[in-house]
This record gives sequence, C-alpha cells and structure tokens, in this order.
Amino acid sequence: MAALDLMQLDGDQAPTSKLLKQGAEARVFESSFMGRKAVVKERFSKKYRHPVLDAKLTSKRLLGEARLLAKARRLGVVTPALYAVDPVTASLTFEYVPGASVKDLLLQSGPLPSPGGKIEEIAKQIGKAVAKLHDGGVVHGDLTTSNMLIRPDTNQLVMIDFGLSFTSALPEDKAVDLYVLERALISLHSSNGDIMGLVMSSYKQSSKLWSSTLNKLAAVRMRGRKRVMIG
Amino acid sequence: MEFKLDTHPGHTLHLFLFSELQNSKEILNLLQTGVLQPELAFFNASLIPDTFPLLAAAHKAMQSHDRGSLRTRSIHSELIFNYSGSKHITESLKRCGISDTTSYVLVARFDASPEDVDAVKTLVKGEELDISELPARADQAAILKHYKISTVELDASSLEDAIVCRIAARDAL
Repeated sequence: MAALDLMQLDGDQAPTSKLLKQGAEARVFESSFMGRKAVVKERFSKKYRHPVLDAKLTSKRLLGEARLLAKARRLGVVTPALYAVDPVTASLTFEYVPGASVKDLLLQSGPLPSPGGKIEEIAKQIGKAVAKLHDGGVVHGDLTTSNMLIRPDTNQLVMIDFGLSFTSALPEDKAVDLYVLERALISLHSSNGDIMGLVMSSYKQSSKLWSSTLNKLAAVRMRGRKRVMIG
Repeated sequence: MEFKLDTHPGHTLHLFLFSELQNSKEILNLLQTGVLQPELAFFNASLIPDTFPLLAAAHKAMQSHDRGSLRTRSIHSELIFNYSGSKHITESLKRCGISDTTSYVLVARFDASPEDVDAVKTLVKGEELDISELPARADQAAILKHYKISTVELDASSLEDAIVCRIAARDAL
C-alpha cells in the first residue's frame, strides 16, 4: 500500500499504533500526540481510481472533514478535538474519546423507559446536537448511531466522522440527514422503542428552522433518500 | 522545561517562562536582524494558556522542517506562525511574538543543548517562572479575541482544545 509506505518513510506514526477500525475510506489507529492519547484517521488511496482524480478526492475530503469539524465546534457541538492535519499522509489526528458508541449502548439496553432515563437523555442530546449543526448550516451526512459516542464519566454525546459532511441551508439536505438517522434507528434499534420521537421533539425545541425541515422530512419519507428525477 | 515530541522521536522542545523582561528592545533587535545565536522563538506569553497548543504548533513546525516546506525563515519563526492559527505571517509574528514593550514572555528552543539553555538564561534579563504559571497568567479575553472563540464554543470545549483545533485546521480553511 502506497499510503502505508509513506507513513513509514515519514516516521510520523508512533510504532505502537494499533488498528481500531477499518472502513471503506479510511483506517483508524490508536496513537499518541504530545503525551495525550489520540486516534489517527488515515485515508488510503483507491487503486481503482485514476491517480490524479484519487489524489484530488482524497485531499478534498481530508480538508473538508477538518473544516466541517472545526465549524461544528464553533456551533457548540461536542466533537473530538482536532490535533493535527497532514495532507501528505492524508491523515487527521484527533483526541481519543473513551466510551461506547450510542449504537452499542442501545443494543445493550432494553425497551424504554430506560433505568435512570439514560437513553432518553441521550436521545435528547442527539436532537439538540443535530439542531445546532443544521441551524448553523452544517449537514452531517452520515448520522448513524455508530458515529455518536458517549463519554463514560459525563454521559456527554460526542459527534464523530464529519467525512461526509457539507454546508447547506436547504431544508431538503437537512431532512435527508434526519431521514438517514431515522432509518438507522428503525432498522437497528426498534426494540428500544420510539427513540426517533424523542430525538425529534428535542430537535424541534432546539432548532429555530425546524418547521421547514420537518415538512421536507415528510416528503423524503414518502420517496426515500434519493431524489425522484422524473421529467 | 523540556518536552519530548512523541510524534518526532528523538526531538525535544525547551520552554522557558519569564516575567519582568527588561531587555525586550535588545532581543527584538537581535530577532529582527536575524543574528540571534542560538536561534530562539519569543512569544507574548499572555496568549498561551497551556503548553499543549504550543506542542501542537511544534509538531507542525517540525514536520514542515523535515519536509523542507517551512513557510517562514526558520523552524522557530514557523513555531510562532503556527501557534497564531493565522495565515498571515507578519501579523502572526506581531501578535504572538514580542514587541519592545512585552514583559511577560515565553522562550522556546527545539533540541536545545545544555549550552543553549545557559545562553537563554544569560540573554533574557527577567524573572524566570515555572511553566505551570501559564494558565493563571494568561489573558483569556485577549486569547478569545485573537482566535475568535465564542462562548458557545467554550460550552462544548476547553480553551486549549479550541486553540489546538485552529492550529491544526488552519491550512484546511
């Protein structure tokens, strides 16, 4: 792998780095950054793409992710801190966030109401965080329960993976964002009960622009995530 | 105080903190004529609430240095430029560096030898403080203004993480 060779040549990676996750776009390693525990997300090149296009897409997405994460933070959404951006190795270094994903927490817990209202509280935080993003013109692009972590000490929701995020003021884009989350909740977590209902009521409370987004959401539900292109 | 740069094994960053600096004019003159030996970075320390953002800037400077892609004249000026989180070099050095009236300063040196450490202590006429004084002496209002950090952001992030994100994301913006 070219990306791996580069990494070794560069000597940036701590030798102990451990692979945490491997996705279609990137690998995530555990590492350390200036004495703090960190994760490195490294995009790799796709051999099936033309090299010029591949380099362009990789660097565009890398910088886009850094930019959108920084924007989300300015809007008051909790995300891991960004420690470093390296366009040469196409990697981002983030704060290591301990704790389970919302996906794992939901899969482990029974139907609502949850003990101590823990799951209800998480649903509320999800609605609030998504509302902040949307009102600030940020569409997450991959709102699934595995892209949300819960800090074990504070139960604080941490939004991750802005790799598919973009800026948009269109209710359509925000509605699709919510629709993706709704599908994820229904398909994986329907045994927990109506979590999306709790998310939406908190979204409505926090977002000033909720009504146009929700109108669109109704239309998106009828047709699915992709736009109908007839005529 | 010596910090090991774990992203660049074998390299270190030395930091010294001084208040009541008396010879800022002389130092500034040496810096501007580029004759200062050993080469050092002088910061307006009131903009530094913690060492972590400084180390993040050091990581970037070291990396550019290794790749031969420094955007300023030396690794030490690059450190100040990176710390500022701005793309404007002159402005960065003016705001995060020292002026002839700065009295609270932080001095940084990559891979300092014992002689370099002695040289810093002879050159700088001021009262040396422990690095742990940084948070208490920082000018929070000036920091928020310089980095354009809002109270909304501070609800969700620590001050040093907010600064580190700006340092890291500068070239992506």
